[in-house]
Amino acid sequence: MIDRSVLAHATILVPALLTILLTVVPRRALRAVATVGALATALPALLLTTAALTHPGEVDAGDWIAVDVAGGLLVGVVALVGGVGVLLSPAYLDSLTGALVAPPRRERLYYTVLFAFWATLTAVPLAGNLGVAWLLIEATTATSALLVAFSGKPRALEAGWKYLVLTSLGLGVALLGIVLLSAGAPHGGLTALSWGSLGDYDAGRENALVAYLLVMIGLAAKIGLAPVHNWLPDAHSEAPAPVSAMLSAALLPSVLLVAWRCQQGLVPVLGERSGQSVFVVLGLLSIGVAVPFLSRSLAWKRLLAYSSLEHMGVIALGIGFGGPLGLAGAAVHVVGHAVAKTLGFVAMTPLVAHEPQAARGPVSGIGRTQPALGSVLGLALGALSGLPPSPLLVSEMLIEAGGFASGRPWAAAAAAVLLALAFLGLFQSLLETTVGESRPRQEGRPGGLRGVTVLAGVSVLLLLGLAGAAAWLPDTQIVQALARGVS
Amino acid sequence: MSGFFSWAMVGLGLGVVMVRRRSMAVGLITLQSLAIVALALREAREAQDLIAAAGIAARAVVLAIVFLLLISRTREARAVLPSLAPLRRGGLAVVLALGLIWLLSGSGSGPCADDHGRAAISLIAFGLVTSASHRATVFQILGIVLVENGLALVVLSMPGTSWLIELGVAFDLTLLGLVAGVFHERIFVEFGGGDTRVLRSLRD
Repeated sequence: MIDRSVLAHATILVPALLTILLTVVPRRALRAVATVGALATALPALLLTTAALTHPGEVDAGDWIAVDVAGGLLVGVVALVGGVGVLLSPAYLDSLTGALVAPPRRERLYYTVLFAFWATLTAVPLAGNLGVAWLLIEATTATSALLVAFSGKPRALEAGWKYLVLTSLGLGVALLGIVLLSAGAPHGGLTALSWGSLGDYDAGRENALVAYLLVMIGLAAKIGLAPVHNWLPDAHSEAPAPVSAMLSAALLPSVLLVAWRCQQGLVPVLGERSGQSVFVVLGLLSIGVAVPFLSRSLAWKRLLAYSSLEHMGVIALGIGFGGPLGLAGAAVHVVGHAVAKTLGFVAMTPLVAHEPQAARGPVSGIGRTQPALGSVLGLALGALSGLPPSPLLVSEMLIEAGGFASGRPWAAAAAAVLLALAFLGLFQSLLETTVGESRPRQEGRPGGLRGVTVLAGVSVLLLLGLAGAAAWLPDTQIVQALARGVS
Repeated sequence: MSGFFSWAMVGLGLGVVMVRRRSMAVGLITLQSLAIVALALREAREAQDLIAAAGIAARAVVLAIVFLLLISRTREARAVLPSLAPLRRGGLAVVLALGLIWLLSGSGSGPCADDHGRAAISLIAFGLVTSASHRATVFQILGIVLVENGLALVVLSMPGTSWLIELGVAFDLTLLGLVAGVFHERIFVEFGGGDTRVLRSLRD
């Protein structure tokens, strides 16, 4: 077995080197290099995930890089989502009518920035301290904002601008909290902000609480948790489909992991319950804000964007409730959401080819005019809504049970009601999109459908496997290791 | 750091909130950034402190060049007026600054224990108000730079933050400024001006 530290370094360095390589390779070789690069990036990341999950008790915590079971899990998610995004990007690029730059430089800019985004994103779950994590998260903003606006259309520019300004301001607030935590540490330098050292804070609980709240509010703006979520529906709906998948399925949970590590690190100062309560409040608020939008007829990607708001709320609840049940639920939810949401977003390319109105408004009866595509949309929405046997149903039940077990019955009850409403809203959209009334549409196989259909097959296996595994997860060493964290 | 320096920082920050001309705001914010560099150099004790100061200096110069270049390439046919009058913006900024200082005063050992720290927190509040109350795209980014200037001052007033983090923040902000520049130009071309009021089509 390769050393975990070597794998962690390779996981970070390979996409970074590929970013540089993509700036110089001949134009005709771009797609081939990107495809091979995607596999080369995913390989060490997935090996690291395997190593982290098979030896969950082992933690490598340095000042710069930390590898534990949570980081390993997220690195695997980022690798899979990013890999699928790169592999299915040619279909998106072929359907593109305009872009930020002229055609000769279009693909080079796209792939270079995509790999830069992927490289920084892969490093976030492995960051060994809060300061480095912040720098990486801020760097993802610059790269992904360009991708959000890549089509160059007015709506994409608007979405990209909102994303850039709102998340940067939010991260500025988080940085203030980080500086306060650093100033209250008994020793300065980089070590002061390493996950294991956060608990050494000795400037008083009140100051620590203020700093923690600033960090949480700032990171919540990047995670897209309510009430600081305004950029999320716009950015996710206007970005290229592969980028939307990376934003929703990989970026948001990675930043959520950083917030969780901060909470875990500060337990010796703040106590467990105070820090967790912030997650519970933000989680409930996010699900509550998402529910009315999930019951409305929305354009496909916009519906998925509001579903991201709901699911980040669910994961935040799992972290907030804590315990074996809550944490197992959160872990399953991160993976299940990533699989279903990636499928949903990348299905957008064939969907627009089949029904151009899907780019701007709700569509119905896709299953009647293009059964294969309708099945893919139904699968994605069914899994996201928690329709049995979706693993998201199992994870939500685990989180609910975790809420009652942790002595937060009112929060768990409120979450149950909100999740039931969210299910009804998404289920209605599922029926409408797949078997609702249809209108005459272009016949023939839409571009990009073949790749999406293959992905749907793989997704079914992953989702069923995850649903089966979820039930026994709370009693495993993986969840015990999750609860211990890096520190 | 002297009381005069703190008040000068606050004055420059308030100036950015209240002025209407983009070039004037860029000038004020660059002056403020360079003053922070001077302070960082004066208080530097080790070589790595000098490196961090050089990072802030490079960020200030690069962003000043980028912003001035952008302004010269995107002349507005009509001035983009902020959504609030200058005095209201200034008043709002002062109220938010006082609120933040009160919130962070805590046990008396936090960043608001002296004038230096209070000035730094004021800049963060001014930056937030600048981004929120100005409609011009350039001003919204200048608000972020103002927030980061405030954070740089907080770091100087509360030693202990790693110089690598300071350097990384300067790099990230420069990158962000460059990306914001690309956005500003495209918005100008696409919408005929850098007024964020036109960026309101995405609603549910």
